[in-house]
Amino acid sequence: MDVIESNINTSSKEFKENYKHYETFVDNLKEKINIAQKGGGEDKIKLHKSRKKMLARERIDALLDPDTPFMEFNTLAAHDMYENKSPCAGIVTGIGLIHGREVVIVANDATVTGGTYYPMTVKKHLRAQEIAMQNNLPCIYLVDSGGAFLPMQDEVFPDREHFGRIFYNQAVMSSMGIPQISAVMGSCTAGGAYVPAMSDETIIVKGTGTIFLGGPPLVKAATGEEVSAEDLGGADVHCRQSGVSDHYAHDDKEAIHLTRNIVENLNRPEKTHLDIREPEDPVYDIKEIYGVIPKDSRRPFDVREIIARVVDGSRFHEFKTLYGDTIVCGFARILGYPVGILANNGVLFSESAIKGTHFIELCCQRKIPLVFLQNITGFMVGKKYEAGGIAKDGAKMVSAVATANVPKFTVIIAGSFGAGNYGMCGRAYGPRQLWMWPNARISVMGGEQAANVLLTVKKDQLWREGKALTKKEEKAITRPILDKYETEGNPYYSTARIWDDGIIDPIDTRMVLGLGISAALNAPISDWKPGVFRM
Amino acid sequence: MFINYEHENHVYNVTIERRDSHYFVTYDNTEYKVEAEEIKPGQLKIKIGDRLIKSVITEGDKEKYVFLDGDIFKVRPVELTGARKTKEKDEGDLISPISGRVVSVKVKDGSSVKKGDVLMVIEAMKMEYLIRAPFDGKIEKVNFKEKDLIEIGQNTVELVKGED
Repeated sequence: MDVIESNINTSSKEFKENYKHYETFVDNLKEKINIAQKGGGEDKIKLHKSRKKMLARERIDALLDPDTPFMEFNTLAAHDMYENKSPCAGIVTGIGLIHGREVVIVANDATVTGGTYYPMTVKKHLRAQEIAMQNNLPCIYLVDSGGAFLPMQDEVFPDREHFGRIFYNQAVMSSMGIPQISAVMGSCTAGGAYVPAMSDETIIVKGTGTIFLGGPPLVKAATGEEVSAEDLGGADVHCRQSGVSDHYAHDDKEAIHLTRNIVENLNRPEKTHLDIREPEDPVYDIKEIYGVIPKDSRRPFDVREIIARVVDGSRFHEFKTLYGDTIVCGFARILGYPVGILANNGVLFSESAIKGTHFIELCCQRKIPLVFLQNITGFMVGKKYEAGGIAKDGAKMVSAVATANVPKFTVIIAGSFGAGNYGMCGRAYGPRQLWMWPNARISVMGGEQAANVLLTVKKDQLWREGKALTKKEEKAITRPILDKYETEGNPYYSTARIWDDGIIDPIDTRMVLGLGISAALNAPISDWKPGVFRM
Repeated sequence: MFINYEHENHVYNVTIERRDSHYFVTYDNTEYKVEAEEIKPGQLKIKIGDRLIKSVITEGDKEKYVFLDGDIFKVRPVELTGARKTKEKDEGDLISPISGRVVSVKVKDGSSVKKGDVLMVIEAMKMEYLIRAPFDGKIEKVNFKEKDLIEIGQNTVELVKGED
């Protein structure tokens, strides 16, 4: 394969300015992640440790194979929500290696409001389970939670994608042959008690781990019986009498050791075969991406400059270079794994959509994972393009993306607007993972466009009544819309609500894609069965 | 002969031509006259201008190690994609890449421009497209004014190549 020749002059003033500007994005991201990862803060951590309990992240560290990465999801979930009382949404989720095989880990952080479930906690837990289900990965639950956050019960309990879905998923996954394992390292009250009870194999820690449907205060209120937590649902009760737990641990460390032993004996099937090569660094420094992305987000850039810094050896076999050139398609390798890349290089026209569809067909046929580098302001609009059938050509691409049988991965590298988001495998199209760069923007259309559309509608309405708007009145209509789009289009607004799997520093892009593909190979790739393409 | 080498994340494009007993090496628009002689396999005696240098080259798996003046340089040959070179958009194109609205015109009829100067800014689909001069020259005619609508493929300005 040929190496992409870069046209970037790294000593130009423009590059240096862009680079400096981008560093502020990355610094900002790191600062936010740092704060979120501290969980409930110093006092809560002290209290937690005084109970001889390890922190959620310490437990994960000890559980994984030494010196292997942990791909964490949604670190900034619930960011700027619930008065910032639920950093990381009080739960740590991600993919890591135990005895050389990928597992999904879901660990409650009891330093954050007792590990209780806010709406975003539930969503994050369910998303981790979804990842496990799609990729056929065993689930390890490190349980330490007081259950649902009661003041918000209407947002965590009754609906389809609420608390009950956690246990539904456990049963379904168990039936699919995806192991469900719990280590109870703290409280596990009410609904939470079903996490270990619904697991295939369960461990409980003496002294700190408790499982019960109703805690001591509830028991006293209901029947008058007075009982300690340990006597009601501690390790001895559940390992010797009730049989709710299978393994008895004296502390967190032993529980982690036992969890590793369980995973060692799961007898997982062979991973799916792909033609894998020795990984190779890109020829160009990946950090140069900082200088490639223009400071002014309205300026286009050549996405090949990004591809050159993400793929192995900067080697890229481009497909249909001269046709529909606002989308760049081609084959490459990331950490040795073969991938088909679709990357926006401008607005999507009919030709670009058809080219993208053709390329997706190739990857589906050859069973090559797809990587979407999304930077899309939309499908082209206007009389000429509508008459040319851009809606049906866009539909072909959307259909191909939706039905693709291969693992899909999406990175939003800049803009994500309108139907372009669908064609480029947005959240609704089931990518195995969707990551955002900190400069990303996401909304149904641009704020200015939305404001103008709404203003025109209002003007037409007034015109029928024989009235008009003054400039001041116009501003009064457009300003709030612009503000709203500005706030909601922000990647932190998105990631707080788990519309993505996290915001990453661009230099980590290779790593997350490589880990994602490796995890995806735990599930078989079926044959492709496309839908009807409108011709 | 074109050769592309990568060294410390940077690609160097080098052209080598052999005329008489000399090699003419062009890098970054500068030509160097080089004499080279292989003393024994992997050992070279190189003369660039008045400088005489000895160099040892050892081959790695994919890369070469060049020992030069006490330094070691690790380089590897790279093949560059031809496809990339067919697009020279960065060098400027006077044709509008998209249907949209002209938001700013930076030149007038008769303006002299340098290669890379911004001539016009076109806005469409939330993006701003800069039209840059592909070469030094003189603007004969500006075809659009601010707020005009422009179609994809239309010529933004008539630019004549400058003599000096």
